[in-house]
Parts: sequence; C-alpha cells; structure tokens
Amino acid sequence: MKSIKRSLRLVSIIVFAFIAGMIMLVLKIQKEASFYISHSNTAQLGFVYDRNGEILFDSKATPETYGENYFIDVGNLIGDAKGQMTNTLVANNIEKLNNYSFSMGLVSKDGKSSIHTSLDHYANRKVYDSFGTSKGCAVAYDYKTGEILVCTSLPSFDVTKGYADIENFETGTLISKVMYGTVPGSTQKVSTLLSAFQIMGKDKLFSKSYTCNGIYMNKGGNEIVCHNSYGHGTQNIQQAFQNSCNPFFAQLVEDDDMPLENIIKCYEKMGYAVNDDKEQYFDINGIKCERASTTLKDSYEFNTQWGCIGQGETLVSPMQLMMWQSGIANQTGKMTMPYLIKYTTNVENEIGDWAETSYSEEVFTPESSTEVRQIMLENGKNYSESISGYNIGIKSGTAQIKDGEEENSLLVGFIEDERHPIAFCVLLENKNNSDTRSENIVKTMLDALCQ
Amino acid sequence: METTTGKVKYVFSAIFVLISHLAMLTNMFYNGNCDPSNMNKFVILAITVIGLDILYFIAMLFFKQSTYTIDFMLIFILNISLIFQSSFGGISLSVKHLVTCIASLISCRLGFILCRNHKWIQAKKKAFYIATGIIMLCILTLTGSRSMWIDLGFFTIQPSEFLKPAFILVCTTYILEQQNKISVWKFNIVPENLICTGFIILICGLQWWCRDLGSLPTFVAIYLCGLCARLCYPKAKLSKKMIITGIASLAVLAITAIILAPPYVKSRLFVDIWNDTSGDGYQQSQALIAIANGGWFGKGAGNGDLHNIFAYETDLVFASICEEWGLFFAIMVVCAILIMLASPLVNPPRSYFHATLATGVCSAFVVQMALNIFGSCNMIPFTGVTVPFISQGGSSMVTCGFMMGMLIAGQSPVFKNPTNNKKKKVKSK
Amino acid sequence: METGNLILCVITAMILDISALVLILSTYFEKLDGKKRWKKIGNDMELVEPGITYALESDEVLIGRHGSVDIRLPDLSVSRYHAIMTVCNGIWTIQALNPKAPILVNGQRISKTKLKEYDVIQIGTYKLQIRKRRRQNGNNNR
Repeated sequence: MKSIKRSLRLVSIIVFAFIAGMIMLVLKIQKEASFYISHSNTAQLGFVYDRNGEILFDSKATPETYGENYFIDVGNLIGDAKGQMTNTLVANNIEKLNNYSFSMGLVSKDGKSSIHTSLDHYANRKVYDSFGTSKGCAVAYDYKTGEILVCTSLPSFDVTKGYADIENFETGTLISKVMYGTVPGSTQKVSTLLSAFQIMGKDKLFSKSYTCNGIYMNKGGNEIVCHNSYGHGTQNIQQAFQNSCNPFFAQLVEDDDMPLENIIKCYEKMGYAVNDDKEQYFDINGIKCERASTTLKDSYEFNTQWGCIGQGETLVSPMQLMMWQSGIANQTGKMTMPYLIKYTTNVENEIGDWAETSYSEEVFTPESSTEVRQIMLENGKNYSESISGYNIGIKSGTAQIKDGEEENSLLVGFIEDERHPIAFCVLLENKNNSDTRSENIVKTMLDALCQ
Repeated sequence: METTTGKVKYVFSAIFVLISHLAMLTNMFYNGNCDPSNMNKFVILAITVIGLDILYFIAMLFFKQSTYTIDFMLIFILNISLIFQSSFGGISLSVKHLVTCIASLISCRLGFILCRNHKWIQAKKKAFYIATGIIMLCILTLTGSRSMWIDLGFFTIQPSEFLKPAFILVCTTYILEQQNKISVWKFNIVPENLICTGFIILICGLQWWCRDLGSLPTFVAIYLCGLCARLCYPKAKLSKKMIITGIASLAVLAITAIILAPPYVKSRLFVDIWNDTSGDGYQQSQALIAIANGGWFGKGAGNGDLHNIFAYETDLVFASICEEWGLFFAIMVVCAILIMLASPLVNPPRSYFHATLATGVCSAFVVQMALNIFGSCNMIPFTGVTVPFISQGGSSMVTCGFMMGMLIAGQSPVFKNPTNNKKKKVKSK
Repeated sequence: METGNLILCVITAMILDISALVLILSTYFEKLDGKKRWKKIGNDMELVEPGITYALESDEVLIGRHGSVDIRLPDLSVSRYHAIMTVCNGIWTIQALNPKAPILVNGQRISKTKLKEYDVIQIGTYKLQIRKRRRQNGNNNR
C-alpha cells in the first residue's frame, strides 16, 4: 500500500503542476488580451487628444472628415496604426487605444479608450506653418513638469491619405527628426561650457582669456576657423560664448586645466555616448530617441576640438538638447524627463497611467547650471528684438552638413517665466535657402504657447 | 452494481451527464449560430449526442464493473468534444469525429479488458516488448524519415500515437519484478529496468529521425514516471537525492538537446510571434487573438473565425473553444479531464501494477495537454500535439480511449491467477 | 452579448462543472464500496503479532526491515526485503524473496506456500498469525 500511495503522490504532483500552469495561463491571457487584439484586423482604436481635447488621431479619419492636412503637423509623431511607421506614439502605445477588455470583448461604438497627450495642437500647427517651405523640426516643453507642448518635424504628411504616394515622399517624412541625432553646431558649446565650469570652477574659468584672429592654428597643426574672419580679439568666456567663437573654445579644450578625461567624464554624465559606435536610445512613452554621441580622442586633435565645438562626429537629438536646457533653467543640474502622454482612459472611461513629473540623475552640478544659465540669459539679451517680450536664455548654432554645402540653424534655450516655464530647441535646415529664420520660429512658438 | 445504491448512483450519474449535455445544446441554440436555415443540422447534432449518451448507458450495463465513474466522465467529455468539433465555424455534425469517438469508446473497452487482471498481464509482459518493437518497426519502415503518418488512402494513421499506450505498458512494473535483481560488477540491477531504459533511448532516436519531436516530451514523461516508480520504491530513502539528480541530468540533457538541435527546431523554439505575425508566428498569434476575441464567455457556437487557420481543430483546439465558447468554458472542460485523471487518487488501485499504469496514463495526458495548450498560447514552444479527447484525430482518440481503459482497469480490477481459470468462489472456513 | 445570453453561458458552464463534481463525488462514495470489494478479494485477512495488527490492504504486501516495505519488522534477524504476500481468489500466498532468509510456516521452512487461517508465520524472531479481521463494533460483513 505504501508503494501505491507513493505513486499516487506522483499523480497529484503532475496534476497540480498542470493546474498551476493553467492559472498562469489565465493570468497571462487576462493581462495581455488587449495587446493581442491590437494586432488583429478587427481592433477598434480610440482617439488621441491634445491638451485641449482636440483630436490628434482618429483611426477612421479621412481627408474629408477633418479637412486636408489637419493632422499634418503631428503626422510623423502621433503616426497611425497601419504599421508603416514604427517609432510613433500610436504604434508604440496601440494597446492603450484599444477599445477592448477581456470581460466586455470588442467595443465598436462607445468605447472610451483614448490617450490624452500634453501637446498643444494650436501652437504645434502655428510652428509647423511658420517653417513655410523649409524643413526642420521644433520641440518645446514645460521644464517644470515635463509636458511636451510642441513637437513637429518637417517634411510631414497627412496620415489620413495613407501611403499610396510613398515613392514621392521626401527623405525624413516618416520620422520625427526631434528624436534623431543631428549635428548640433555651436549649441554644443553649452555642453562644453558646462563641462568647463565643472572642471575648472567658476573663478578659474572667468580668469581665462584667449585671443582669436579669425583663424587659430592649434597645437596639432590644424586650422580652426572662426565664422568671423576678422577675429574677435581677446575675450573672456562670457564674450566668447556670446560671439560663439570657435578658436576660443579650441584653446579652452587644449588648456592644461581641461584634461580630456575630465571632459569625457562630464560628457558621459550628461548622457553622451563617447567613442562608442553602438546606437543607443532612451524612451519617451515608448518612442525611441537617439542618445547623443561624440568622438573625443586627443585634446590637440582637430576632430576632438571640433567635437567640443559642435562639428565633427558629434550628433545630438533636438530632444536631448532641449532636456539639458531644463537642467540649466531649473538650476538643479537634473533634467526634467519629457513625456507626451498625460493620461489614458480605458474602454470604460476609467482614467489610468497618470503621468508624473520625474527627473534624471544629476547630469551636471547645480553650481555650473546657475553660471551657464546666467551666461545664456546674458546672451539672450542680444535677441531682444527678434524674440521680443521674453526674458530668454538662448544659444544659437550653425551646423555644417554635407561637407559644408548646407548650413542648419539651431536655437536652444529657455524662457524665464513662472507661468510659462518653456525650454525649446528649433532646427531649421538649409538656412541660407530659407525664407524664414529660426528666431522667427521661436518667436511664433513662444507667442502661441504664452498667449 | 450489485446493490440498489449502486443502481441509484448509476442512474443519477447518467442523468447528470445528460443534463450537462442538454445545457450545452441549449446554450448552443440560444447563443450559437442557429438560424432557421441550419436548424436541421442542430437537431441532428442534438439527437446524435443524446442518442450516443443513452446507447452508451445501456451498453455499459453489460459490463460488470465495480465503479463506473471514469466511464461516465469519458462519455461526458467525448460528447462535449463532439459538440465542440461540430460547432467550429458553423454548426453541423462532425461525422468524422463521431466515428472516432465511437472507436475511442470501443478501444477503451479493449484497454479495460486487457489490463483489468494485473496478474495475467504481468505474465504477458514480453508480448508488450514485442508489440512496442513492431510499432517502432512500422514507424521506421512505413512512415519515412520526414513524416509521421501512414497513408492508407481513405484515412491516415499516426503510428507514434499507438506507441504511447504500448510504452506505458512497457514502463509499468510490479513489486515482485523489482525484487528480481542480478549482480553486475557489484551493482544490483533489475534487468527489466534496463530494458525499459533501452526502449526510451530507441524511441528518442526514432522520434528524432522522424522529426516528430512534439511527442518526444510525452514519452520522456512516461519514462520518468516509470523510473520514479522503480527507483523510489525499493530505495525510498535515496529517493530525494535520486529525484534531484534525475532532474539535474534531465536539465543538462535538455540544454544539450537545444544546443545540438537542428536549425528548424531552433527557429521554432525561439520565435517572437508578434514580430512575425504573417510567418512562423501566424498560427499562434491568430490563436491568441481568437482567445482575446472570445473573452470569458465566447462569441457563441459557430460564430468563430479561427476555423480559417490551419490545424484549428487539432493543435489550436483550445483557442477555437475559447473563441466560440469562452475561456471559462474551456477551463471547465480541461478541469473535467483533470478530474477524470485524478480519480485514482480518490479510489486508489489495489496493486502496484495498476498504480504505475495510472501514473503513466496521467503523465501522458497531462504532458500532452500542457504541450498543446501552453504551446498554442505561446508560453512554451509550439509543437503539433493534440489535446486528448478534445482534438480531432483518429489515432489520438483511439489511443486516448485505450489509455482511459487502462485507468478504468485500475479502478475495477480482477484478481485471478493466469493459470487458474476457476471462478472466484466463497471460501469456506 | 446580451445579458440573458451571458447568464445562459454562465449557467451552462456551471452545470458542466457541477456534473463533473457530482461524478467525482460518486467516486468518493464508491470508495466505500471499493473497500468492501477488497474485503471480498482479500478475504478480509490481517496479520497479527501480539499487540499489533497489520492490515493487508493491497496485493503484493512486502515484509522486511527496510523503511519502504509495507510491514516493517525492525530487527536484524529480518532481511531488508524478506517476504512478499500476494492474494488470489481470496487465498493469500507467502513467498520468500531472499534464499538466505528463511520463513517458517507452522514451523516448517518454505519458499512459497498458500496460507490458511490461523497459520503462524515466523520471520526472524517475529511470529505473525494470519486470521480474519476482528472488529470492535461487531458490524458483520456480508
């Protein structure tokens, strides 16, 4: 009898193991059913709204129902459910839009699933229009809370028209350029300045002064050319930053008080992938955003110096340029993490996924951010005419691409305003052939957001 | 059945089986795809199900058994499965499944008659070695190296299914046999255990050669249960160590098997179905979408869409049921099968032979169900095995019926000596 | 799906489950019958040692010193697996497993023999008697 009982124990073990598996299966199905349905053809998707309740995505939209190009300003950010674009809000959060619950099944008519984003469609549209025929991208967010207010990228297209015309799309139509790396130009000097403050300290840095004659022969024997061919003369850091003087920054990098390993450390803390070929990403509500990368090999080397000035192999996404501005504007050295989704509602209109403001680790010291903030605000006074009415901290940048054939204009900055704490980054491609200026775009954007 | 209480129980159980089938048919009538145009199909199905029930209840009266529980559970599950199979993608009686159900019931009787006298079958053990060998030879010669079916023209046979009950019988043992040890190099070895191990190695090799790796876990599970029954019995104090070493060696074996596996197996093992919904992940992703579509209570019989997918009635049968009848219902049916398997726990067999038989049958059933259900739901790699009694497939139904017969044999055993043909008589003092 | 249909679904599933439960419950009742049947097959015998009775609950009852046997006689005079008792048609048979370990039935050394009621089996230093089971409550079997 003992032996029989023992073998029956084996039976009960097998049966209970199976029951445990079944319980796991039921839990798994419960949890993932919405995800499964989002992959089927019969999925009923809800709407995406902006912060004022305007619709940004409707799976059943046609050009007639909303008017032509109604969604064009967010076309490559919000995207659609057709699967052509993978790095968009809808593609990465499709199960949140699903009008489905396991107990109710598919709800075709009155499903309340939706995503409420922090975008401001009105301002976004204004910014999009202000680009005119030019291309580029613009992004702005609230540096206190992290809500992304404006995020647009040109060229874009009308998702309601579908992809029939895909062969004639210009390159970059299907991606939001905000999320992808671009040559930062002189806006990189903000990073170098932050590093310099952290490495040398305030007093030492302000005591340094270098001379610019238009062209500087560096210690490696290469020429560093300044955009002002007559030279800026002898300047301190404040003046050099305002002049955006390349020879000054080259000499700063060469200085014995700025060892390269410390620069690399500061850069890495800020989130650069230094001397790393692998593409790295961070995540904003499921949307992948490229991490900044640069190559720094030797202080006296041409490429390294240009890397710190903003040319060479440095690539930074506008999103990340903007995020650093939040650390400067807040004087904390911590980036406010941006988000697009404020909250979602499920099929029964229950609110979930409330966004909460979160901050990064300290990416630079609060002291250095205070100093850089002051320098940028000082620089902002030069823009009092073009961007009037705002107490603005700003850095411009001109990035040469395609071996100097084209020049992109960049503006990064923030405004000092308790009611509208906005940090922004604007990229205007091929500025010499453009009928607008990046300052105008910033002005339009701020006017639309602060009206 | 000799007593009046036995008769009452018999009628009572029969009524409950009938009620549950009627309830399912009612559900089908109101929720299912039952418009007037295919009303006659529904009526045919209903008559068939109820008729089969009643015929079976009458037929069972001719078999003298101590307990009829598993028999009732069997007809209960078989008719549920007939209703399921007849409802996929529109209600119409699945004649093929009806025939296999009846074949299954008959083979269940055969299994019962074969196994009920353990003394007789113990003495005939060599016959099972031969039978297993013949089936393996059939697989080797008739199926060819890349297929697992024998095509007989009007229907196909999957011989590896028949190998299962044969191998369960090979793996059974009894105590006297385990005492028969021979000494080889200071080790006491039971020759029967060696034969058993030899068989599993041969079967593994054969299945590998046939590319029928789906049923391999079933055989391994049967063997492991047999091994447990052998090792844990005479050396109970070593059993824990033995079990741990056994599990460890099995894990090592599994890992090496995965490493050495041919590419087509590897691609099956590690497939992200949602990245490839039109290729390798098509079946599974459609199955999961169907489950999600069904929800708790399903779309109603005959309203599903999964019947457009290949193997909806065999490999993906769990998802098909979930879609049309709901997850709740599917779980209930799986529970019913488990209850049937667990009946030896309530009414234990009286001989070690029947106990090992019950463990073998139970492990074979549970492993098959687990492979199918968890596989189609993407919890483990997807293999083409069937859910016992629920999936369509003649070979599978017949062998499952046979295995159930073995389980019934353990519940209603006969104690007779093989040489002694005298009827049991009341002993005088 | 409408509420009425939903309720129907639930009820059907419940009936299914209740039926399964009823069937397994009937197994539980049959367990009692099973015991009676076993008494018939095993002739309701038990082994008696002064002070202790051993029930014979299944076919193939092992007797020995090892921890895994059914009737354990913890003494060095008993072999680990000493003897096995099998039943057939209500007649119990005892068989020696180890030729070096003797079994005496009614004082005679045997290797295999059928047992009658009140036979005395001597295994090592133990003396066991086989007899009909005796009950305290006097509830007679059929």
